[in-house]
Amino acid sequence: MSTQTKLNAPVAEFNGVSFRYDGGPEILKDIQFTLSPGSFHFMTGESGAGKTSLLSLLYLYHLPTKGRVRLFGYPVDEMARLDRAKLRRQIGVVFQDFRLLNHLTAFDNVALPLRIAGVKESEIRRHVSELLAWVGLENQMKTHPPELSGGEQQRVAIARAVINRPTLLLADEPTGNVDDAMAKRLLHLFLELNKLGTTVVIATHNEGLIRHFGFPRLHLDKGHLSVVPQNQYKEMASKLFNRGGAQ
Amino acid sequence: MKQSRLFFSTDSNRLFLPWMSMLMGFIAVLILAAGMSAYDSITNWQRVVSGSLTVQIPTYTEAGDPRGEVVNREIETALTILRSSTGVKGATVLSDSQMTELMIPWLGEGAAVSELPLPKLIDVMVDSDHYPDMAQLKTDLAAQVPSAVLDSHRLRLEPLLRLSSGGIKLIGFILILLALTASFTVIYATRTSLTAHEHIISLIHMMGANDWFITRQYAARNFNLTFMGSFFGLLLALPIMAGVSFLIHGATLDFIWNPALDIKQWIVLGCVPVGLALLAFVTTLKTVSDYLKRFL
Ligand SMILES: Nc1ncnc2c1ncn2[C@@H]1O[C@H](COP(=O)(O)OP(=O)(O)O)[C@@H](O)[C@H]1O
Ligand SMILES: [Mg+2]
Repeated sequence: MSTQTKLNAPVAEFNGVSFRYDGGPEILKDIQFTLSPGSFHFMTGESGAGKTSLLSLLYLYHLPTKGRVRLFGYPVDEMARLDRAKLRRQIGVVFQDFRLLNHLTAFDNVALPLRIAGVKESEIRRHVSELLAWVGLENQMKTHPPELSGGEQQRVAIARAVINRPTLLLADEPTGNVDDAMAKRLLHLFLELNKLGTTVVIATHNEGLIRHFGFPRLHLDKGHLSVVPQNQYKEMASKLFNRGGAQ
Repeated sequence: MKQSRLFFSTDSNRLFLPWMSMLMGFIAVLILAAGMSAYDSITNWQRVVSGSLTVQIPTYTEAGDPRGEVVNREIETALTILRSSTGVKGATVLSDSQMTELMIPWLGEGAAVSELPLPKLIDVMVDSDHYPDMAQLKTDLAAQVPSAVLDSHRLRLEPLLRLSSGGIKLIGFILILLALTASFTVIYATRTSLTAHEHIISLIHMMGANDWFITRQYAARNFNLTFMGSFFGLLLALPIMAGVSFLIHGATLDFIWNPALDIKQWIVLGCVPVGLALLAFVTTLKTVSDYLKRFL
């Protein structure tokens, strides 16, 4: 089997997906949704609703306990190990806790996906410097993550996720540590990628952002997922605010 | 940035593995050197001994008086009997100077052998494919030269040969234990390092690194560390081997155990670091790929 993206196949397809951690309660229940190529979604839900868990099914860290996940048209449970690895190289992830490697510089952290993909060093130098400059870290390329502020670390994490122009970009609360201006700037970066064809899913609590960009959202509540189309976001947001706001 | 720097920022392996492999390389080299030279010495004894037989004719009576002319007559008779027996290729009397040489290890240079009450020795060359009938030979000799003592080195050396081949088996066993210990050491060190770097490995895996990308870095690194360590072990063993060799020469015990090694045996010793490093390489590959199975 090849992992060439199947033409016109949905980027992701969840069919009756349930998920639980070893011995734990069911966290995701009977989830059903499709991400079409080039789509842009926010993912919302209270803290502990299962956003990170759902994303981990999308970036192939876990398999569902029930149901089936297809990525680019292929059922992930039936894929060969090598094919899963190839597929992961088309997925960029911004982790909620960044997962930067402290013994590497900001530059080397961002270069990591390219090195794994075997890109030439000369190209790596050019692309990584460009991107780090774009996120405003041109003077911190040689700095190690522990010496960076939370917001700077987050930008390194985002740069690392987008450096190889992924087909699918997953971001887990990627703007939690930056001010609104920077959050918008980063969202624009995701938008740029989206315009180039990348499918984007962003888990966020930032109502301002959701309102500003108005993309459809995948909303998780007690393990159940509902897809809220673009034009309903305002109503949804007011409901959330009435309940004391999203977490 | 070198790829090997991806994982190994701080790692106890960097000291642990070279030290352990130095120790194991050192022991392996010494044991192999001892084993190979002992093997050579034993095959040498066997070659010398298996084709020979001696007959002793006493030159003194049991009371300590010289037996005189009768000795020479007995020698002649014994030689005639021996030379006419089937399976005997030749028989010669050892000269006094040959006797002196034989006794050097026991008595030292310049011993006056002729003044000692030593028997005359007849060296009998036998056809090892058609070994003479010892019982028949004994009866024949006893009939005409009652004083003659037939002595088969083969019989006397048998227990010694058994002992030495047992020793060689023991050395083989120790080498196997050593290889196992080396493997376990590598497994332990690798697992420790994998656990310490789990966050890095899981991240790299999630970014789409295939298993080989990770295993080869570990395996290559452990190969290098083990090679370095055991190479120093080899270097460390050399002066010890020289020392032992010097002591054996000094004690003129070379005829029992000649510690000299030939070129092939030196090559075998030179292969010890490479062998240990390869063992570490293969063990690491297996350990890391088993570990990676925990990731989807
Ligand atoms: N590794 C894990 N093992 C067991 N339970 C977990 C693990 N990660 C998260 N959970 C639990 O799963 C539920 C959903 O968590 P998570 O997916 O992180 O939600 P969110 O990202 O929406 O805050 C929570 O109850 C959390 O305690
Ligand atoms: Mg989360």
